[in-house]
Amino acid sequence: MENITLFINGKGVSCPTGSSLLEAAELNGIKIPRLCYHPELKPLGGCRLCLVEDEKTGKILASCVMPASPNMSILTDTPRINRHRRNIVRLMMAEHPESCIVCNKGNRCQLRQIAAQLGLGQTGLYHMPNYKPIEQANPFIIRDLTKCVLCGKCIRADHELVQTGAIDYNFRGFKSRPLTLHDLPLEQSNCTFCGTCVSICPTGALAPKNLTHAGTPERESDSVCGFCGVGCSLTLGVIGKQIVETNPSHLPETLNGATLCVRGHFAHDFLNAEQRLTQPLMRAEDKLAPVSWNEAVNHVASRLLEIKKTFGPQSIGFLGSSKCTNEENYLFQKIARTVLETNNVDNGGYLSGRSCLDLIDSRTGGGWRVSPLSNLEKAESIVVIGADPGNSAPVVGYYIRRTAKKGIPMIVVDPRRTDLVPFSTVWLRILPERDLQLINCLAALLWKRFGHDTGFIDRFTENFTKYSEGLSSFNHQRLCVEAGVDMISLERVVELLKGKKIAFVIGHGILQQRNAARAADAILNLMLMTGSLGTDTGGLYLLARENNQAGALDMGSAPDLLPGRENLGDSRQRQRFERAWEVRLSPDQGLNAIRMITEAEKGTLKALYIMGENPLRSLPQPERVLKALQNLEFLVVQDILKTETSTVAHVVLPGASFSEKAGSYTNMEGRIQCVEPVVSPPLEARPDWMILDMVSEKMGRFTRYDSLEKIRAEIVRHIPEYQGLSNGKKTFWINNTSKKGLFQPDGQGEPISFFPVAFAEDRPHDDNYPFTAILGSTRFHLGSGTRTSHSKRIGNFGKNGHVEISPSDGLELNLVNGDRIRIQSRHGSIERELILEKGLAQGLVLAPIGFEENDAMKLLPLTPFEDRTSRGLKTCQVRIDKIQ
Amino acid sequence: MNYSASEEEAGLPDKIALERDVAARLKGFDNHRRNLIPILQDIQDHFLYLAPEAILMVAEHIGIGASEVYGVATFYNQFRFHPPGRHPIKVCLGTACHVRGGDIILENFERKLGISDGETTTDREFSIERVACVGCCALAPVAVVDENIQGHMAPSKVEGIVLGYKIERDRIDRERENEPGEPA
Repeated sequence: MENITLFINGKGVSCPTGSSLLEAAELNGIKIPRLCYHPELKPLGGCRLCLVEDEKTGKILASCVMPASPNMSILTDTPRINRHRRNIVRLMMAEHPESCIVCNKGNRCQLRQIAAQLGLGQTGLYHMPNYKPIEQANPFIIRDLTKCVLCGKCIRADHELVQTGAIDYNFRGFKSRPLTLHDLPLEQSNCTFCGTCVSICPTGALAPKNLTHAGTPERESDSVCGFCGVGCSLTLGVIGKQIVETNPSHLPETLNGATLCVRGHFAHDFLNAEQRLTQPLMRAEDKLAPVSWNEAVNHVASRLLEIKKTFGPQSIGFLGSSKCTNEENYLFQKIARTVLETNNVDNGGYLSGRSCLDLIDSRTGGGWRVSPLSNLEKAESIVVIGADPGNSAPVVGYYIRRTAKKGIPMIVVDPRRTDLVPFSTVWLRILPERDLQLINCLAALLWKRFGHDTGFIDRFTENFTKYSEGLSSFNHQRLCVEAGVDMISLERVVELLKGKKIAFVIGHGILQQRNAARAADAILNLMLMTGSLGTDTGGLYLLARENNQAGALDMGSAPDLLPGRENLGDSRQRQRFERAWEVRLSPDQGLNAIRMITEAEKGTLKALYIMGENPLRSLPQPERVLKALQNLEFLVVQDILKTETSTVAHVVLPGASFSEKAGSYTNMEGRIQCVEPVVSPPLEARPDWMILDMVSEKMGRFTRYDSLEKIRAEIVRHIPEYQGLSNGKKTFWINNTSKKGLFQPDGQGEPISFFPVAFAEDRPHDDNYPFTAILGSTRFHLGSGTRTSHSKRIGNFGKNGHVEISPSDGLELNLVNGDRIRIQSRHGSIERELILEKGLAQGLVLAPIGFEENDAMKLLPLTPFEDRTSRGLKTCQVRIDKIQ
Repeated sequence: MNYSASEEEAGLPDKIALERDVAARLKGFDNHRRNLIPILQDIQDHFLYLAPEAILMVAEHIGIGASEVYGVATFYNQFRFHPPGRHPIKVCLGTACHVRGGDIILENFERKLGISDGETTTDREFSIERVACVGCCALAPVAVVDENIQGHMAPSKVEGIVLGYKIERDRIDRERENEPGEPA
């Protein structure tokens, strides 16, 4: 972009064309006071504090809305301007209540800062606050609109960034305030409590409701959110040793900008929960008693070695965590593979679509993995399939809504009316788990209407002819009926997508379903056909449930993968690691998360080392899991919270949360972010990598690392994707190592092959269980809810996991809102309160996960995905009965 | 006097019928933003107020947030969010009435009926509205109840007016009960 030169305060400066005067001044280090300006929002020119004077004409201009033009000469700090500014601030102060001493914005209040800069103490005006009652019934946000200065930042953040539309200006003149529909309290509005408005509010009008503290934190440090796979950049406010506040960070080019979600903003209370583990515990006479680190680690090391000696290496399992850092995951699998010589190592991410990921990785050589969310806003069209990002990964939802609002075609494929549906161009309301049929039908229609990208197909792919023959053989009408979609909507979608690149956003509706791998295959075929893969205007976005799901796999924390996602069966790769680690590696893949439990049930698995996972809560059929765990000779649980699983362990090792240790996390975009500890772990708890380091030293296989840098150096040596870890950068992207031409800058390389079309197998219908339950996530809990359920404010919100059915089913079964019902599947039952939800189709039940010890898992069978009888983890057949 | 009659008693139009009517009226407008105010005016002309359901439907029709529709509607004095009562009470707060304590009269009505300015009692008998000037400043403070101008208003007169309507209503109720053959 071209630069223009102008004069600010007599000094020649330059700025890019199109900048406002305010931006030009900022760029050159000249501060101009302002209240309503925010770099991520459209300028409003409302507060009039950013006034500047044009030296030539003497005109007074609002610099945030005035574009800079060449040779302009402006003054930012003249007595005349200051007189105006002072008057504006005086009027604001006259309307502001005198509650600074109890206001928890404290010294961060921008009105106070500006008044101080302008030297204003007394206004000399009649004090006339416009009192509104303070609203603090909800556990997250305190609204004291008496303190509002009407800068409109909250409204604009809501409308422009988050796109929820919960608040807007109401009334006019003196009465004007940012209010919800009918001025209802926030919890009765459609507010999602993302807290973006709280962080952006310049005064104390919107404040977070802190449970332990009010006021300004002593210090603030940047970190990365430890919840979902998006990995938002955070600033944590600390008082003493406690984290009391969370805000979006002010770093440049973060993926979340000024936004966060309710979890990121308000659910970090678990860090200070009473249930935090603070010292090592060991079972003595049926009770867990505190012991010293030395004792605990010695015991763990000697017991594991003993069991290995008696029962062999395959009797030990290592269940790691997709919430722990890359470094910890690397160390974890290395201990399993080198010290205990077993491939029985997996992580909790197994539950979120391993089969899908493997398939996509193997077909693309992993090249798809760098998919910046910022590209989503450049997309030509978006298809959201089996995903409810508004609940599972809200920040991704904001991206999609912003793009859709610009008029980009956005298609939602979902049996439920998710909160993206109002933004969608077309909502294809399919029957549950019929995605494969729909995608096949869509591909066939696009092929018929010449919606394919011949140039792309010729250049980067092979075997298209065979695939297209398969497409021609489809009967569209029949597929449409099977998917439960009408032909007219589908034709409309085809018209919309024809000739465009498509960005696919895929969630757990695909990843966890029965046909997951086949559906992923079909999506990849469709992407290759339309030339959507590997471009900025298309792309593949897989929603990851946990913050380091991608990283855990990269580090080889899986029964069939070596670090760098290298296949264990590949003898060349295996030899490479055998040389580096000086061990023999077995080529046989180990047990995955579910099979570890079933093997323990059978008694073949004798010891289990669990790091940061809570299988008693996250796996199906908890009663079976409990029996299996009790069947073990030895169970070590390394975690941050006292969980269902830690209470049955033989040894409990207290770890550290994301805010208490250094490390790196890889998010769903392929962005690797390093964090530093913000506070120290509570009492005797230690960073997990240190614990693993101690344990491995005691087992005497390799020398201690003692520092994160050494682990990182080893990771860099073995995993080419992680080269960036060595250069000391905080944020970087994984290196593309795919050999596929599509992902090479020059386009030279192997072609990607089309796979022949796959067909869905339908399961027989069971009349005893006429309803299909969908297990969906809510924005208030993450996954099984182990951490979020220990967050006080989330608990105080009073959401109790209502299940939803359609009003017409309600009528038929004679059920009304608030009835208690029992949902029963072949495997178990749960009891919940009911809500009739218009957006749901007949025959569906939505059971939210994460609530009440995540008991929704009782409905599912404990079957590994690769098992032919597996029904996935997304849906199950159920029956509904009213509890009298 | 108790005005907390239930909604059924007050005979609010059936919600489903309302939604159907609003949907029919929305058909006459495309979903461009510029139609927002004409749509709201049309709905108010027909239903005499903007029902919460109607606001939600308008928001969906135009594709903006319901709070945004509410924000626009509250900006203008012409829109009401409560159905008018059978006996609308207009309290004048023009200059003369203001000087003579019109705000006290308004407050008296509000307290007596348990609603505030712009609202309607749940039995739909009364609604209160503040107006600028009704043109008989010599009688200040003035209130207009139904179409009758009540001059020289005072707190005791507020009591009297409301009581008058209550007595009238009771009389009608009694007569209705005495008529044979009528369902209760």
